[in-house]
Amino acid sequence: MKKLMFLFYLIFSVTVVFAQQIAVTGTVTEAATGEPIPGVSVIIQGTTSGTITDFDGNYTIQASGSDVLVFSFVGLTSQEVPINNRATINIQLEQSTELVDEVVVVGYGQLKVKDLTSSISTVNSEEIAKSPSGQAMQTLQGKVAGMQVVSNGAPGDSPTIRVRGIGSYPGSNNEAPLYVVDGMFFDNIDFLNTADIASISVLKDASAAAIYGVRAANGVVLIETKSGKNNQKAQVVYDGYYGVQVAQNVLKMANAEQFTTMAMESGSAPDIGNIATAMQRYGRSRINPNVPDVNTDWYDEIIRVAPIQNHSIDVSGGGEDASYSIGSSYFGQEGILDMKNEYERFNLRSKIDYKATDWLTIGGNMIFSNALKYGQSADAWSLAYWAVPILPIYDESNTDAWPVNYASAQHLGYRGGQNPMPSLDFNNNRLKIRKVLANFYAQFHLIPKKLDLKTTYNHSFTALNERNVQLPYYFSDGFQRENAGITRKTETFSNQIWDNVLTYNDQFDHHSLTVMGGASFRDEAWEMLTARGLDFPYENEESWYIDQSDRGSLPVDAVNDGGSRQYGMSYFGRVSYNYDDRYLVYGTMRADGSSKYQEKWGYFPTIGAGWVVSEEDFMNIPAIDFLKVRASWGELGNDKIRASDGARTTQVVTVAINDELVSGTTTSSTFSYLEWEVTEETNVGITSRLFDSRLSVELDYYVRDTKNAAINVSIPSVGGNVLRNVGVIRNQGFEAALNWSNQISPDFSYSVGANISTLKNEVRDLYGQQYIDGGSAEFRQRSMIGEPLLAFFGYEVVGVYQNDAEIQADPIAMANNLEPGDLKFRDQDGDKDIDGDDRVVLGSYFPSFMYGANLGITYKSLEFSTNIAGQSGNKILNRKRGEVIWTSDLNMDADLAINRWHGEGTSNSYPSSKGLRKGWNQSMSEYLVEDGSFFRVQNIQLAYNLAGKEIMGTMMPDARISFTAERPITVFKYNGFNPEVANGIDRQTYPIPGVYTIGLNVKF
Amino acid sequence: MKRINHTIKLIGLVAMLLAFTACHDLLDEPAENRTFTEETDYTESSNMISPLIGTYAAFYSRGWENFPLISVRGDDVNHGGLGDQQDFAETDMFRYNKDYWMYNSLWEGLYSDIYAAQSAMIEFELYKENGANAATADQYIAEAKTMQAFLLFQLARVWGDVFIPATPDPADLLVADLSTKQEVMQFISDQMDEAIGNLPAVHPNERTDVRGGVTRYTALAMKALANLEMENYQAVADATSQIISSGKFSLEADYYNLFKIPGKLNDENILEFQYSDFGQGSGTAITYLFAFFGPENWTPAVTGAGSGWGFYEPSLKWIKFMLDRGERTRLETSVLFTNRGIAAIKDDPNYATLPDWISNTTPSGDLINDYARAMFASGKHYLPSNQLTPGRTGYGTNKNLIGIRYAEILLMHAEALVQGASSSAMTADAAVNAVRSRAGLSPLSGVTLDQVVDEKFAELAMEWGTRYYDLIRLERYNELNYDGRTFSANLTYLPYPQNQVDQLPILGGTQE
Repeated sequence: MKKLMFLFYLIFSVTVVFAQQIAVTGTVTEAATGEPIPGVSVIIQGTTSGTITDFDGNYTIQASGSDVLVFSFVGLTSQEVPINNRATINIQLEQSTELVDEVVVVGYGQLKVKDLTSSISTVNSEEIAKSPSGQAMQTLQGKVAGMQVVSNGAPGDSPTIRVRGIGSYPGSNNEAPLYVVDGMFFDNIDFLNTADIASISVLKDASAAAIYGVRAANGVVLIETKSGKNNQKAQVVYDGYYGVQVAQNVLKMANAEQFTTMAMESGSAPDIGNIATAMQRYGRSRINPNVPDVNTDWYDEIIRVAPIQNHSIDVSGGGEDASYSIGSSYFGQEGILDMKNEYERFNLRSKIDYKATDWLTIGGNMIFSNALKYGQSADAWSLAYWAVPILPIYDESNTDAWPVNYASAQHLGYRGGQNPMPSLDFNNNRLKIRKVLANFYAQFHLIPKKLDLKTTYNHSFTALNERNVQLPYYFSDGFQRENAGITRKTETFSNQIWDNVLTYNDQFDHHSLTVMGGASFRDEAWEMLTARGLDFPYENEESWYIDQSDRGSLPVDAVNDGGSRQYGMSYFGRVSYNYDDRYLVYGTMRADGSSKYQEKWGYFPTIGAGWVVSEEDFMNIPAIDFLKVRASWGELGNDKIRASDGARTTQVVTVAINDELVSGTTTSSTFSYLEWEVTEETNVGITSRLFDSRLSVELDYYVRDTKNAAINVSIPSVGGNVLRNVGVIRNQGFEAALNWSNQISPDFSYSVGANISTLKNEVRDLYGQQYIDGGSAEFRQRSMIGEPLLAFFGYEVVGVYQNDAEIQADPIAMANNLEPGDLKFRDQDGDKDIDGDDRVVLGSYFPSFMYGANLGITYKSLEFSTNIAGQSGNKILNRKRGEVIWTSDLNMDADLAINRWHGEGTSNSYPSSKGLRKGWNQSMSEYLVEDGSFFRVQNIQLAYNLAGKEIMGTMMPDARISFTAERPITVFKYNGFNPEVANGIDRQTYPIPGVYTIGLNVKF
Repeated sequence: MKRINHTIKLIGLVAMLLAFTACHDLLDEPAENRTFTEETDYTESSNMISPLIGTYAAFYSRGWENFPLISVRGDDVNHGGLGDQQDFAETDMFRYNKDYWMYNSLWEGLYSDIYAAQSAMIEFELYKENGANAATADQYIAEAKTMQAFLLFQLARVWGDVFIPATPDPADLLVADLSTKQEVMQFISDQMDEAIGNLPAVHPNERTDVRGGVTRYTALAMKALANLEMENYQAVADATSQIISSGKFSLEADYYNLFKIPGKLNDENILEFQYSDFGQGSGTAITYLFAFFGPENWTPAVTGAGSGWGFYEPSLKWIKFMLDRGERTRLETSVLFTNRGIAAIKDDPNYATLPDWISNTTPSGDLINDYARAMFASGKHYLPSNQLTPGRTGYGTNKNLIGIRYAEILLMHAEALVQGASSSAMTADAAVNAVRSRAGLSPLSGVTLDQVVDEKFAELAMEWGTRYYDLIRLERYNELNYDGRTFSANLTYLPYPQNQVDQLPILGGTQE
């Protein structure tokens, strides 16, 4: 009652000028369901006074008998109803079939979808919830046209995200988009619980992203967390799933017999000798007495089936003035690598908005994330690839071994111990990740409904506490760790953003105008301290402290202290104008100042225009509900480049002089002057709704040029590289997203969607140079004008020399002492030798075509949905095979072992076993570069809804039970675990498991 | 209400403006945790030693592949490590691959430390301009020049025509011209002339500030080496004479331990790459990767001592040469025998019976077992397991790597004299006999060039490829045609690494 009095008071205080007031009451319901709708805004037309409906959809308003009431609610079609002196007006609101009221979050505000002139894709919480993943971005794979999501199988690690190709030279995460979580900037969002996310908007083109200026060159991903709604009863939602992860497409390695055959054919005495030693030590196989009686499948030994689970509980609701959403969640995932490899995350969050007075709204949002990650042993996957199959896990005869008798390949004659088990057992990498995101705002309604000033203060604080422990072991003289070691690293990131934004909205005649202006201050600080200790009592985990270690031998070089602090200042503004819902004009401008670059200020403008053709009189085609043609242009900056790179600096180094540790300094002799990296993008597109809005079609074409691209340029003779602004990189592509949904009957509805995107990445200019080399000297990648950035560069393989006659006939083969079984490279320039001039571009790691599709069917209480995704046109450097360049003591994959050249006509693509050891065949060539295309069934979900059913006399809450298969099938040709390799270089990747879960969602 | 609105508006906007204007200054804050070189206080002369120590740090931190690639092509040593690093073996067989990673790694390793020395020299000049003791600054510059000379010397020996850096910015090489090997050697000789006067006339182990560092005699040794390459024998004789006359250097009586822990900073050593475990069983150890040279399978006297990779195998040709000469000291020091290796020597009927001291147990009691990768391992790169600091197991940890030693000076001196140069410091016979006497051999008289060359072969095997470069200089190519190798003069130099040719096109055009 008190509340009601207060409300009355408020309304009177504003509307006191009006005479002849009558009280109008009524209920607002949804036309389709007849359910009352809380939170509907009821406003007297032409004024700013109004109210909102309560929990039961009821409202009461004082108005003059001749006023017109405007009822509006997001997602429903607004209605204007003249009062005509009635005291009761009940209203049914229809589902909006048009875009009229759909709003989308843009930077520092919201815009109606129909007013957009740029390319923005939004994914809502239901889509996100379908994928059982700890990583929100992972759930978007295949769902946003033009966005590439490269999965990461390691628990707790984020996928690699690329929006519309790659504009910045890759490295140190500078190709990732900017994530903005409720106004705060992040480099990744691994701390967010996916169930807490209300929506994810991907601002794909420069015009949309330009409001974020200097950080936005690689696209912007806006994340809104869930909030409560006004006038809504408290709703308690439990959402959870439990499931298992199963390794998919496990790479077949050569078995003992195949490996032995390869060794015998190698012609290498030590390799043949090692086989003999293995037979002496472990006996001969009874099946084939020429093979050692050991056949270890190392992948089989290190992979396990691992559980994954998520549980979250959220309470949300609101009254007239306040709304809230409070929740907590737990996510747990074990890695499929059979060691202490897991990720756990416990999150708490609360979001509260309160209308303190009619001129002030305040709110606060806090997310606390507490995660614990046990990281994989860094080399486990590559060790398992390389370990020879004739080595057993345990070796009874290795009596000196300690603390378990693992086998060592050194006993067979190999250079290293090889056995990957010690790497799993004697490493413990613990990382505690604690993140707090706090943001508080106060919004002043300076001119009600027209002019708002919002000041927001965001602080994100991250504390990382890392403890990596290495335990001692002995398996052979060169395969041992004498001392227990412990490395501790603590890092804190304290990032603050203070935004002040003034927004003006107005409508007059046919004009509709939104003007926004603001300023933002950014302060980013990082501190790090790391130290290492040796020889501590490692038997008990409570003693794993540097304090417990041998103080006499603390490695001084392992003590490092680091820090950085950067400041940013920005001013920005936006104008969005709409004439008669037909002509749209849009423009933003941002000025960014950063302490990071020698050049302090950058300016980033954008303009856009749209024409809603369907609103024109001549456009009267019934099938077309909405049709908009739009175009935009904008400029963006990228400051995710190493701070002050290229300045001349002095480093401290240590050296042994006269058996004493002495420190001195060295001065880097290369320097360059870095400027802003600027991205310019033009986007044209069509947005449409057809056939009673059953079909939506979104088409976009873009051209994005990164100018002054900071590219790593190798330093001649010295090695290493330095960033210089020396390139123009272009990404261009076409994107289409189609969705069809239809309700056949009240019981049956379905939807089908598809999206495709193309990408052409091209180096346009290198400021006078013809190419810039990247990658490593042995596995060359080259950025050449007219070719993709960092394209694989080497010899084209024509085939394999089959016989002596072919060798004799080829002067190239003769000059290089080649034999049958060696690769035949194409002599591109026809000068009868193979040299550097014969290398060509062998492909790029960027997919030129990506696609995704989904199907959803609802029949009564049953829901079925499935997604597929895929890509083609990208290449992967199979560096696992290439590593033979460093040592040939390795196993190889079964495909190579089986399909090797071993006599005339046996292979025209793989060299012989002997050939594998030769530098000629180890050169960067097509043999190492493979097709990375794949097709994947991304997700299959079957769900059953128990909507408020009565069971045995008790009213049950709304519940949804679901069965999900995530990534059950992936089809590809590549000879590796997994065709998803972020940078295209596969030395070792964590396999991406299939996930099978059962889920439950209950609303009380 | 209106008034509140206005007040809020005003306070809001004013506060915003004030706060934001104050923030602008922060944009000029420099990046944290960097020492920007332009901020160095060059008037603080006591800090001038820091860049010098840094130059030594760069000079000593040699990549493991540097030494093997520089020195593998002679007839004293074979690649070893069979079945692994095929292109290292191919290089030993004079079949070169410009794409092989070691070539690029050696090139970059040598040049990056040359540039470290260049940058340090600029630092010393700046200290000098700001009031540091000029003589000290000049000495430091001279030390950096000497280290640079050693690195440049190796580059020119391996590749022939190379760049002489003119500025401290490697990007300037894009427009630089190549210098011939002759020009590089002349440049080194001239640089050493500039350096010699500024360096202390003491033995490296007599230096108190940087014990074991560069002295006048190191620069003289570099000058002698460069002039030897130019066949400028009188200059060799003059430089070596100064070293000999100084009386600072002597041959270590215990040849075996010269290459081990007791030999660290020995009176015989003129240039030494220093490494240490600081006497601690664990913790920081600065080492060179001697494991490359170690036997792949052994039973060490001290259990737990790690074995090596089995590369770098003394050649049968050299072992037989030493047996022919009746050598024991130098053969026993230079070679670790396996039973398989001993059998291979005996396969030759001329060597069917060997002295009984030849065994697969080293004088320090380490038992070398057979392994497939090689038959012998290099003794000069061997550290007995009982010389490891207890707690350390890495092969060769705490051992130094000798760069130039007095025996080489004596033999260069002798060679210069038999090639026609003159000196009053010492005769060729005396120089050669000093070396022979330490090795337990009888003196010679009237030594010939062949005898000097043989003596170098015996004394300096497995050390920096001295043998290979001697044969090249003296054009005794036939010696290199052994064990299936076919050498010809056009194989003298390695091809430039493809990675460098791609960056520096001038390297693509001038290859012989």
